[in-house]
Amino acid sequence: MNTDWSRRRFLRTLCALPLLPGCERLARRDLPVSVLWAGMEAGHALRDGAPLPLPRETLETGVLILGSGVAGSACAWKLAREGRRDFILLAGPEAGGNAAAGEFGELRFPRGAHYLPLPSLESAHVRELLADMGVLQAGVGDLRPWYDEACVVHAPAERLLIDRRWQEDLLPHAPAGSDEARDQARFLQSMEQFKQAQGSDGRRAFAVPLALSSTDADLRGLDQLSFAAWLDRENFRAPGLRWYLDYACRDDYGAPAAGVSAWAGIAYFAGRAGQAADAQPGAVLTWPDGLNPLLRHMHEVGVGAAGGRWLAGHALRAVERGNRMEVLCADGQGGAFLVRARRVVCAMPLMVATRVLPDMAALGFDPARDLPQYAPWLVANFLLEGFPAEMPGAELAWDNVIYGGQGLGYVVSTHQQLRVARPPQTVFTAYVALSDQAPAAVRRRLLSLDAQQLLDEVLCDLRLAYTPIALWRHVRAVEITVRGHAMPIPLPGFLSNPGRLALRGADDRLLFAHGDLSCLSVFEEAAWWGYRAALKLLA
Amino acid sequence: MSTGPSYDRVLVVSVFVVASCGLAYELIAGALASYLLGDSVLQFSTVIGCYLFAMGLGSHLSRYVPEHLVLSRFIEIELLVGLLGGASAALLFAVFGWASQPFRGVLYALVLALGVLVGMEIPLVMRIMNQRRAEFRELVARVLTFDYLGALAVALLFPLVFAPRLGMLRTALLFGMLNAGVALWTTWHFRAELATTADKVLRGTMVLGLLAGAFALSDRFTAWTEKGIFGDETLHAETTPYQRLVVTRWHDDLRLYINGNLQFSSRDEHRYHEALIHPALQALPWARTVLVLGGGDGLALREILRYSNIEHATLVDIDPAMTGLFARSAELVALNGGSLSNPRVTVVNADAGRWLENSQQVFDAIIVDLPDPSNYGLGKLYSVPAYRLMARHLAEKGYLVVQSTSPYYAPHAYWSVVQTLREADFHTWPYHAYVPSFGEWGFVLAGRRADFEPPKSYRLSMKFLDAASTALMFQFPPDMQAVPVQANRLNDQSLVRYFDQDWQRSIR
Repeated sequence: MNTDWSRRRFLRTLCALPLLPGCERLARRDLPVSVLWAGMEAGHALRDGAPLPLPRETLETGVLILGSGVAGSACAWKLAREGRRDFILLAGPEAGGNAAAGEFGELRFPRGAHYLPLPSLESAHVRELLADMGVLQAGVGDLRPWYDEACVVHAPAERLLIDRRWQEDLLPHAPAGSDEARDQARFLQSMEQFKQAQGSDGRRAFAVPLALSSTDADLRGLDQLSFAAWLDRENFRAPGLRWYLDYACRDDYGAPAAGVSAWAGIAYFAGRAGQAADAQPGAVLTWPDGLNPLLRHMHEVGVGAAGGRWLAGHALRAVERGNRMEVLCADGQGGAFLVRARRVVCAMPLMVATRVLPDMAALGFDPARDLPQYAPWLVANFLLEGFPAEMPGAELAWDNVIYGGQGLGYVVSTHQQLRVARPPQTVFTAYVALSDQAPAAVRRRLLSLDAQQLLDEVLCDLRLAYTPIALWRHVRAVEITVRGHAMPIPLPGFLSNPGRLALRGADDRLLFAHGDLSCLSVFEEAAWWGYRAALKLLA
Repeated sequence: MSTGPSYDRVLVVSVFVVASCGLAYELIAGALASYLLGDSVLQFSTVIGCYLFAMGLGSHLSRYVPEHLVLSRFIEIELLVGLLGGASAALLFAVFGWASQPFRGVLYALVLALGVLVGMEIPLVMRIMNQRRAEFRELVARVLTFDYLGALAVALLFPLVFAPRLGMLRTALLFGMLNAGVALWTTWHFRAELATTADKVLRGTMVLGLLAGAFALSDRFTAWTEKGIFGDETLHAETTPYQRLVVTRWHDDLRLYINGNLQFSSRDEHRYHEALIHPALQALPWARTVLVLGGGDGLALREILRYSNIEHATLVDIDPAMTGLFARSAELVALNGGSLSNPRVTVVNADAGRWLENSQQVFDAIIVDLPDPSNYGLGKLYSVPAYRLMARHLAEKGYLVVQSTSPYYAPHAYWSVVQTLREADFHTWPYHAYVPSFGEWGFVLAGRRADFEPPKSYRLSMKFLDAASTALMFQFPPDMQAVPVQANRLNDQSLVRYFDQDWQRSIR
């Protein structure tokens, strides 16, 4: 008789019940899900050549900065700090760009970037900003300055879900003496050497910002192959290590190791040379709303009482006319205005710049050849009432990653609070870099999805970390930000792209400032080009 | 042989009950293992796996029951399942309470035994019905339908009704009685076919009586097992959103445990609290306001309120259940002198970190009487930024005192607290006192001023402190000398690791 079989089946069904997507759907049926398509409408109108409106008024200014992301804001901040007031910061379609933030009541959360590695000595521009904010409290020029501990990531910083158990750290733990452990140790040692390495020009091999790195041909050779090919060549084959490196590349560059330059892959580790007197090496700075506080500070200074002027709206067309640049701007409410400026800083992604500036080719930039490929991202914020029951192992950390997960894990917005007990509410921010298909195909697919389908996409990691019942008991609201062109991918050869090198040098009526110039979407690079543009304007 | 619908119905109802009971024991074992051992995913998987495997064994074993004894064996198995399953929760609680070591062994042995017995039930019922020449198609459909239905009923009722209303102990006993009931009912209906019924009725009644008696006495049993865990009679036990509070009494010794860790024993708490309060307050005769962080038992407050110069004390403790208990229970109020209800006292139930960030008040003395830094949450209040924050609430010439675990058992943790206060720009005066129920215990007195001198005398009468013992408190003998350690920074919380490692080394 097979009664045990039938009961076993019954029990299995019982256990599987909560996993049924139908049940999950039921649980989240009344959940408010909002979707933001960052800058998409404005971007698509430009792409599709929508007719240009007539301006209702004309403004005059010394400098017009197009875009209020990290680069544009850094430029405005530096200009104001040096006493300039005759400039306008045009917000762009999404104020703050990749450093934007949102809020659920009192709880703020990131809609984009969420951390900043401790700045190395080369990142003097970032140190200057942090000192100006009071985050860097002493020793701005020291190897190991003192930081405000409120912003240095608190322990436990990271954990990894592997075999249904959380471990501390992101590199999968391996038994001593195993191939995995040996490869991991060898890799870290190799990165340590790259961190110390200098080129024959006396510069660090992998400096942040990239523009200050050595230009030695040996080192630049690393830009000719993919990171995965380099890893194969150096015989780093342990699966745990390779997963981690793929994760790191997807996290910073939006593509796996096989899709990025070996130079960029190594720079992820070798470039992070910053240290602190009051934190461990490798620590990062973070805030509940990601990098948005850096942006807010730059805006307070840059377009505050003693700075320039803030204008809502985004650029539609910029042309040189006489000794002025004329920029036609949409005001975001159907109207338009014209700004006549002596100089313009184009602080927008290059794929937008090619639509706003009619003749990029004259600047040496051929869009067909020189536009980077952009990785699509989803950033999802989950408002939670209470905390869901955890799987065994290490406790909830700031950054929580799933081994083999499709996404990039999730961060906890209240992690940095100085609290004994957990707060009543928190926000989990889940990141997904969609690198499984070609970026354009992913963008097409994203456009066809409704809010519930997008929610399915961003749940990929949380589903593995929590049972649906545990999770949906606590989720009160979800906000999903779709970033179709979230970041440029540093493909092999990215260092020597002639068009982007040409734009870096532009110093006439029109200047460029954006992370795209480095083809790396990280705060230090974007801020560097904004800061450089300000210095050129001040010269 | 008797046939007919009435017998069928009896058997079908039996299947329903038997299936319910079978699943109930499994859920009880899984839930208890999760409660007591933690890691619910692991516990539920292993218990369910083990149980299903045992049911397979039982099904296999059922073939060895000879055809003419099937009915009789079924009744006996029901009684055995009832007894074993009914007592399962009590047995597990008792084993855990009195000796935690063999708990897993007992758990799995019990799950195996129950699984084997439950696994035999359905095959036997089917054979009984088969003997009554039921059509096979009909038989399988009917038995399995009610098997599933019974399981569904319990799967829903267990988490929604039984577990919250009755608790594990009584739920198990209730299902045990159901099994025994099935045995008696079956005996009654098939009395014509059974060789002997008297012995079965007798045994069934005994099992039923035993389980019913245990059901009536289950409250006493719970108290008895907690006594096993804590050693003494439990006066109060409560799980709050923040912690598990247990107050025990043995003769005149009242003890408070938080999450199983001893917080004080009324026999020697005066040593701890005199040492915590008086060196600082004796040195601040002008002090008028005091802040206490933690200390929801009101015992530190009791010592503070002895000073007539103290006009007001604010106590910030996260757990309203804790301060409520120590403000209302007559025995505990007798111990803390009603300090929590004193008109000179304001009790605030808030997270100390949040309160410090939001309040503007400045105090002449701050007493930090928080639990030891055993996790990252508590560790945050032993960090450089937390002490800087406290400094903002401390008068220029005031003192801060931190209870800071044992310098003898956890030297790295203790000296890390000292180092952390120094990094937060405090001058520090580490000291220690012997509290028998804790062992050698550590405190740190800290101030922005650099001129503290240990008191040479006390204005108030003391049970423990005098000039000579106070002088010794501020000296550290060779086996308690400072060790080189890092300050507790929020980035790595070295203190939490020191604490963990030190105590692991000290406790076997």
